[in-house]
Amino acid sequence: MDPIAAALDALVACDRPLLIGVRHHSAACAAAVPALLDAFAPERVLVELPEELQPWLPWLGHAGLQPPVALAGATDDGALAFYPFAEFSPELAAVRWAVARGVPIEAFDLPIARRTGHEREAGDQALLGALLHATGAPDVEAMWDRLVEARAPGATPQQVRRAALGVGLALRRAEVDGGGVSEVDLLREAHMRSRLSGARAAAVVGAFHAAALLPEPLLWRAPTLVAEPGPAPTTSLVPYADDLLDSRSGYPAGIRDPQWQRRAWAALAGDGTLEDAVVELAVAICRALREAGHVAGTPDAAEVARLARGLAAVRGLPAPGRRELLEGVESALGHGELLGRGRAVARAAESVLVGRRRGVLAPGTPRSGLAPHVEGLLAALGLPGPTSPPDPVRMRLDPLRADIDRRRHTVLVRLEAIGVPYGQREESGVMGDVETLTEVWRMSWRPATAATLELGAARGVTLEQAAAGALRAERARLAAGDLLGAAARLSLTARAAACGLPDLLREGLADLMGPFLAEAGLTELLDAFALVERLRRKHVPALPDDFECPAEVRAADLLAAAVRAVEGLAGSDSLDDARALLALVRLFERDAADLGTSRLGAALDALARDGAPVIAGAAEAIRALTGREPAEHVGERLGAWIDAAVDNEGRRTLAGRLGGALTVAAPLFEASPAFVGGLLDRVEALDDDAFLSRLPALRDGFDALSPAARGRLLDVLAERLGGDAPETELEDPPELLALYAAADRGGAVGEPRAAPTPLPDFVLALAAAFEHGAARPRVAQTPGVIGPRDRWRLILGRERSHLSGMACRAARALDELYGTGRGEGARGEGGGHDAPFPTVREWAGELEDLFGERVREEVLGRAAEGGNGAAALELDPAHVAPSVELLEELLALKGALPPGQMEHLRRLVRRVVEQLTEALATRIRPALTGLSTPIPTRRPGGPLDLGRTLRANLKHVRRDGRVVCERLVFRTRARRSLDWRVVLLVDVSGSMEASVIYSAIMAAILSGLPAVSVHFVAFSTEIVDLSDRVADPLELLLEIAVGGGTHIAKAFRYARTLVTVPARTLVLCVSDFEEGGAVSALVEEVRTLVESGARGLGLAALDDHGRPRYARAVAEQVAAAGMPVAALTPLEVARWIAEQVR
Amino acid sequence: MSAAIQAPPAEARHADELAFLAAWDDGPRPPGWRLTPRAVVTFVAGSGGEKLTLPKTAEFEGDRSRVIPEKFVGDRALVERCVVTLGGPRGLMLVGEPGTAKSMLSELLSAAVSGTSALTVQGTAGTTEDQLRYGWNYALLIDRGPCEEALVPSPVLQAMRRGAMARLEEITRCLPEVQDALVSILSERALAVPELGGAHVEPARAGFNLIATANLRDRGVSEMSAALKRRFNFETVPPIADLEREKALVKAQAEASLASVGVPLAVDDAVLEALVTVFRDLRSGRTVEGWAVEKPQAVMSTAEAVAVAGALGFQAAWFRSDRDVLSLLPGYLLGVVLKDDPKDRGRLLAYWDAAVKRRAEGRARLWKQLHELRAVIEE
Repeated sequence: MDPIAAALDALVACDRPLLIGVRHHSAACAAAVPALLDAFAPERVLVELPEELQPWLPWLGHAGLQPPVALAGATDDGALAFYPFAEFSPELAAVRWAVARGVPIEAFDLPIARRTGHEREAGDQALLGALLHATGAPDVEAMWDRLVEARAPGATPQQVRRAALGVGLALRRAEVDGGGVSEVDLLREAHMRSRLSGARAAAVVGAFHAAALLPEPLLWRAPTLVAEPGPAPTTSLVPYADDLLDSRSGYPAGIRDPQWQRRAWAALAGDGTLEDAVVELAVAICRALREAGHVAGTPDAAEVARLARGLAAVRGLPAPGRRELLEGVESALGHGELLGRGRAVARAAESVLVGRRRGVLAPGTPRSGLAPHVEGLLAALGLPGPTSPPDPVRMRLDPLRADIDRRRHTVLVRLEAIGVPYGQREESGVMGDVETLTEVWRMSWRPATAATLELGAARGVTLEQAAAGALRAERARLAAGDLLGAAARLSLTARAAACGLPDLLREGLADLMGPFLAEAGLTELLDAFALVERLRRKHVPALPDDFECPAEVRAADLLAAAVRAVEGLAGSDSLDDARALLALVRLFERDAADLGTSRLGAALDALARDGAPVIAGAAEAIRALTGREPAEHVGERLGAWIDAAVDNEGRRTLAGRLGGALTVAAPLFEASPAFVGGLLDRVEALDDDAFLSRLPALRDGFDALSPAARGRLLDVLAERLGGDAPETELEDPPELLALYAAADRGGAVGEPRAAPTPLPDFVLALAAAFEHGAARPRVAQTPGVIGPRDRWRLILGRERSHLSGMACRAARALDELYGTGRGEGARGEGGGHDAPFPTVREWAGELEDLFGERVREEVLGRAAEGGNGAAALELDPAHVAPSVELLEELLALKGALPPGQMEHLRRLVRRVVEQLTEALATRIRPALTGLSTPIPTRRPGGPLDLGRTLRANLKHVRRDGRVVCERLVFRTRARRSLDWRVVLLVDVSGSMEASVIYSAIMAAILSGLPAVSVHFVAFSTEIVDLSDRVADPLELLLEIAVGGGTHIAKAFRYARTLVTVPARTLVLCVSDFEEGGAVSALVEEVRTLVESGARGLGLAALDDHGRPRYARAVAEQVAAAGMPVAALTPLEVARWIAEQVR
Repeated sequence: MSAAIQAPPAEARHADELAFLAAWDDGPRPPGWRLTPRAVVTFVAGSGGEKLTLPKTAEFEGDRSRVIPEKFVGDRALVERCVVTLGGPRGLMLVGEPGTAKSMLSELLSAAVSGTSALTVQGTAGTTEDQLRYGWNYALLIDRGPCEEALVPSPVLQAMRRGAMARLEEITRCLPEVQDALVSILSERALAVPELGGAHVEPARAGFNLIATANLRDRGVSEMSAALKRRFNFETVPPIADLEREKALVKAQAEASLASVGVPLAVDDAVLEALVTVFRDLRSGRTVEGWAVEKPQAVMSTAEAVAVAGALGFQAAWFRSDRDVLSLLPGYLLGVVLKDDPKDRGRLLAYWDAAVKRRAEGRARLWKQLHELRAVIEE
């Protein structure tokens, strides 16, 4: 006979003790236990629980207790034994049976105190794999389900017991052959064996252990170690909840889908049938799905139940089980969608199958759990507790060096995590990113401390478990609200590290290497990188010393993802992005390789070539910094930027590029003459006129530096520039000054710093030469020639006191806008000592005098953007050149103006908007006109056009009156182009102003088309439907308030309510896709929209450049979900819409 | 002599197995079915290497016990669900990425259930309602007016009349209004032909059902309407989960395609393994070692891997000893990857710089050689 079959017979036959092999949660076993015990009528019942838990057993079996509850034993060194119980736990069934009948019940497993130091090590898994393969199950749990649970309906309790013992035996066999049973199991089994002798007993133990408890043990050997007693644990019995019992919650010893298990247990215990349970749960899932706004009706529930029954029949099972139910749900309800509907189905199934029950302890049960544990902990660490005086205690901790401080730090951080008001960290007062070694806490035990501690008790019995539970609950809350974005994931992981929760941290890190990588932006990736660095260097005090950052957490992957994110920066105009880019390049060079032909190198080149001004400038400077491009070449290019700044657009570009370059490479400007050479040459070579027109842009660019840095730069430049240019004499007659100026310019061409000698011939010749120049020199009106050093003083906004004449006036006019600057040295040397301009009008006049009308507009626009409302009023509606940039600046003002000035602004904006709309409409209307009509065709396709066919064939009439049809004419299907609905979802969270303006204008143009209705929905984390104002872009733009976070999924959810006929709906989402919420939710919404048949288009930018700044990773996921994402110009968008509508 | 048929249908290729299984399980069958559900599952998913023996009472000529090989490499539970669905009131919709053997599964199922896989409509953008319902012989129609003889039944209508499985390939390529012609067929299980007089209805016989396949993620497809979706049970056919099985499949298929022209496969296993590994890595966005890589837009299916393996085999056989087979691999990979998104080249390069490089540093001469071939995929 097969030895395994013989062993199984021996297990089943044994009655000293009666062996009831179970799994910790098993509906089949829990239903069978009472009947088995009734039949055997033992004099005592043994359960596989540590002996320390013995005092709790009467309370556990108490008739007044309502599961789920949990028993726990925790030692001070962090070891935790945790046993949740529900109706479907065989141990609970046994305890209840014994308590109800007054039969002695004994916890007979090895005490927790003697388990310390013995870890269960994993043996060779190959045999287990073979065993699983033979049963076709993916894991041990599934194997148990298939062999025990699925076969339980209709089976006798004895048959269930036999099946369970059989699985346990097979697992043990696999483990013995694969390297032997682990030492801690042997110790426990030896201990349990020692407790067997005595009165007639029934032992409810894990099926795996059963063979070791036979009078002649099988597959067992005596342990080689001895279990030394350790510190006694604190034990507790606490109420528990379904959502924690579910194994996905992360709490130990749970099981999937408690509600299903409870129903299965009830059915097996004689209350209803499994078929009924399947039908009821299927109906409940469909109802939950309907509540989530998806279609799922009675036929769907019926099909789920039919599939479950059919699958049970094909598999030869007596009744459908959990696996069949879930498969039926997925097939009949999921519609093959993993995202969109699929996720909604999974959520509905989870909410129904997990359940919402909370356990209740029997009245009179002693107090235990978190609060007593924490009180003990505080006392042991010398921190204030309930008996201390109420005054706060201030304590300086040095957690990285002193062990007791480390433990105190851990307790304080964990209390903070579970929201208990107890300790408060004082701000260290150190600026920047310097890591401080010590920290100061202020602690006090307040009534609120005790109260919140009791509240937190549901999350765990130790502080560590409760902190982990709080973080998990936080995560679940975020996930349920679709708020689990990349930033939230990172912060949860960082908090898990700070609280010293290795398991949670490992999960969080896995999360970082998984979903996070796929959705994070550059800044988040760099932050994650920093976190991983700190973990590797062991700079996180609360973590145990032996915590090693898992090998799967590769900084290289974070870097690679960051490199991918770089491409999304092309349209950025933020200096922070420029800094992040530099940080990334530095890390890349340190850790990965040289830039060379790498992707980052190529991305840098592309940014420098095609990026928006700020990021292009930064990329260019970084190329010089890293030696990718010789500094001279980059310097030459910097010079070329100045040459190119001939118009409004060019000057803007110059300011942006300089700002970007200076932000990342200020030291290079100070240190490398080659780098600034190009700039120096240009600044010197320009004539006064050209210089002055570029001056505001240059000043704007250099404003990115702190005043002190600008001062240093000026000192460095001074060495190159030599002494001051000759002072201009204000007393000189204007004519002579004009000649001086001309001479200076002339000299600058050939001989840079030649002193202007008043040689009449030379001067006259030059003056004559300039007669042919395009522009008359302005110096005729404003005397003064600005020397190179003064020019730099002007550009850098320093040493104004050295300036005189026109230069002084220019400096004063510009200081009005820029002040002294920000950062280091801002409080030092001021711009000058003159009084500010008394009125904006005077200032505006001065600006026009100095720089000309166009530049004046730019400067005033800048001032308006900076919040100077009066500056905008100086702009003349009749004369401004309409541009999106100007509009952006004006719109930044609204809300900040008093009503009277608002009227002026409104007129100004109206004019700009009207002109822009007119210009754009002229361009895009042609794309939107023209309709297709049904035309007859000879290609068989649509229905036969009988009339036309007859007419076409009348020439073939036969004598008998029949028509021979030689040519058939069919009708084609014409698509109707009526009643289209265009929904514009516009992200107004910031940094998208140009796109917002274009969106509003597009909305106005589209709403003017026949048969197209336009909805305009502005969103940040809130949603405002402005559809009633689309006809007037002015109203629309004045209504929009820019700012706030981004929740795109919410906007899509709203858009879904606007869709009535999906096939004739277009949804355009204008956003940078920096989703603040969960990306999965966004993808789900997009998918749901696309599934419905509506067409979507994501616009990462809607402007005349088509240069987006967007979160590339998120955009890619959205595109994969069926909504293309692109940066388009308004004309391209119009063409796209026309294509869809036709 | 006429040339051999390139691809005989499943019912012809496996005729004897089907007859054997019909005799093997004589349990109750759903009305109109040739085999019991259990036998259909066994036919498609194999007997797991077990030798099946006919019961004594069964009449059968030929070998009375045999092993049924696995024809569809994948999850057995998936096949079970498909079979259960076909016995019910809804149609079966097989969805998944291109190249995951959906069409093969549909062919096998209809051959096993109805004995024919020929009642097939191939969906394209030009598919019309006629091909799903019925058309007319227009000459007869005009000559005699609407009558039974003038009606041209579609494969679907033929399947309804015979009580058989009808197959719809690539249903999402049809225009949505054409797809919706199926809604009434699936819910009423009958097709009204109003042209033949008010009450003329073609009822579906027992055993009729629809098996449709669709690429949900492919470009240029139309979404199905919600009404249609509710009349199907959906099964997602995943790419093959196991490296070894995929390798074996690629090898077997490549060998088969070469054998049809009488050439042996001269590509060694290490190269095939590298090929399949690269495909799997790029398909899942995660390498076998667990490193994250960037997924290209292009479809990296097993079918594509088979095509590349076949092409390598042909080149090795017909242009023998020109070049090392391995050196051809990057070129073919680029051909697969570089289809519609020019950025895919960058993604492939990034894969080379991350995964291939790391492997080349770690072990295996083969990966070193591959890494040295990086220039092939550069522009």
